[in-house]
Amino acid sequence: MIKVTDVSMKFNLGIEKNFSVKQAFIDILSRKKKEKSYFWALDEINFEVEKGEVIGFIGNNGAGKSTLLKIVAGVMKPTTGKVEIQGNICPMIELGAGFDYELTARENIYLNGAVLGYSREFIDGKFDEIVDFSELRDFLEVPVRNFSSGMIARLAFSIATIVDPEILIVDEILSVGDIAFQQKSENKMKSMITGGTTVLFVSHSIEQIKNLCNRVIWLEHGKIKKVGPAVEICEEYYKSQLG
Amino acid sequence: MFLKNLYINFKKYSFLLQQLVSRDFKVKYKRSVLGIIWSLLYPILNMAVMALVFSNIFKFSTPGVNYLVYVLSGLIMFNYFSEASNLAMGSVVANFPLINKIYIPKYIFPLSKCLFVGINFLLTLIPLYVVIFATGTGVNIYHLVLPYAYICLFVFTLGMGLILSTVSVFLRDIFYIYGIVLTLWTYLTPIMYDISIISSKLQIILKCNPMYHYINFIRRIILYHEMPSGFTFAICGLSALIVLAIGLFVFKKKQDKFIYYV
Repeated sequence: MIKVTDVSMKFNLGIEKNFSVKQAFIDILSRKKKEKSYFWALDEINFEVEKGEVIGFIGNNGAGKSTLLKIVAGVMKPTTGKVEIQGNICPMIELGAGFDYELTARENIYLNGAVLGYSREFIDGKFDEIVDFSELRDFLEVPVRNFSSGMIARLAFSIATIVDPEILIVDEILSVGDIAFQQKSENKMKSMITGGTTVLFVSHSIEQIKNLCNRVIWLEHGKIKKVGPAVEICEEYYKSQLG
Repeated sequence: MFLKNLYINFKKYSFLLQQLVSRDFKVKYKRSVLGIIWSLLYPILNMAVMALVFSNIFKFSTPGVNYLVYVLSGLIMFNYFSEASNLAMGSVVANFPLINKIYIPKYIFPLSKCLFVGINFLLTLIPLYVVIFATGTGVNIYHLVLPYAYICLFVFTLGMGLILSTVSVFLRDIFYIYGIVLTLWTYLTPIMYDISIISSKLQIILKCNPMYHYINFIRRIILYHEMPSGFTFAICGLSALIVLAIGLFVFKKKQDKFIYYV
């Protein structure tokens, strides 16, 4: 289903986002050789995920969890190694990244759906479901720029979670909106995770990982430290964190 | 292999492409009173200003053909190029938040901009034909060949858009540099003057400019009622294909690096 082989990811820390002519001149004049400083965000990662499995990833900040998920989702290409995937992937993208604030809610459902890779027929068929879940039927023709942030989050969440993907990538369980909607959105995500799809799940909540995952991969400094049953690994990780 | 992938991608993402184009279209006119009428009005007003300035103040003229049609035919071609290449240039950088979150083939952003401005371009053909008839220039059978020039223009602009959007990721200064380049380019393209008024040395330089040939192509037909020469056909097609090939090559080679410059 998902097979990750020898995946390494090297970041060049020397990439200057703010390249300037001034800096270039200084570099030439001072004849200082630019130090190539690399950072291996991931180092020889190997794992396989079977169909229907729910895999959790734990580890400290900077351990490489999000980078790994980005590579699996195809957003980044690994420096070396390869990722083989069978089935369509749904990355739970940051809510509303594909919205255009000048467009109405209705138009944004189609736009954002297209960004997520849905077809027109699919969105047509699911349109009412999306609208009902978001509870925004009265605001369909209102430009999203007039929405409150909670309404935007609700709409985005409803669009993103309407699919039944074969592979779901979850970076933290989202609960958005007011308390009632938070409950609803959390339940929706949990039912997606436990609904038989393959899930890659990153969370800092050890409780959620324990409850939802079959297996856990513990990452540390870009390497797999341990793989095993969720409860066991989580407890070990928890203990190591407390020192 | 690349082409095959491109095709599969294209099929899968054609709905997204369509959504992006229609989004641009909706957003463009949403908050203006006249809306889409501006697409028709804008080139006419632009032409009127140009014609006023250049034929009255600078005494430019084009013997034997109507100056208004001359200006407008050049103007709509060049406006397409400058607007589409400009929008395409910024399209990848503007969509970084998306590129960083989800896999989308990145060429879709410059492509959608070129298509969006392309629809606008087709609308500007309406005022062009209004002026063609109003000035008594009239049409002829060769008008059926005009789409060839439009397609060449589109292909050329897409190639430029791919190159520029790649450069913009690594060097944001290009937004300013290209602004200046476009200004220079406008004057090096015979839009409001006839190429014969300049020295023959300078003419050679001007003829290295593909935009000159696309505009010349349509002027041969619209103004002079004659079929463009085989040479003109060839140079239009070749220049467009070469620039597109360079654009595809550069973009494909660098697109995996975009993510590091987000």
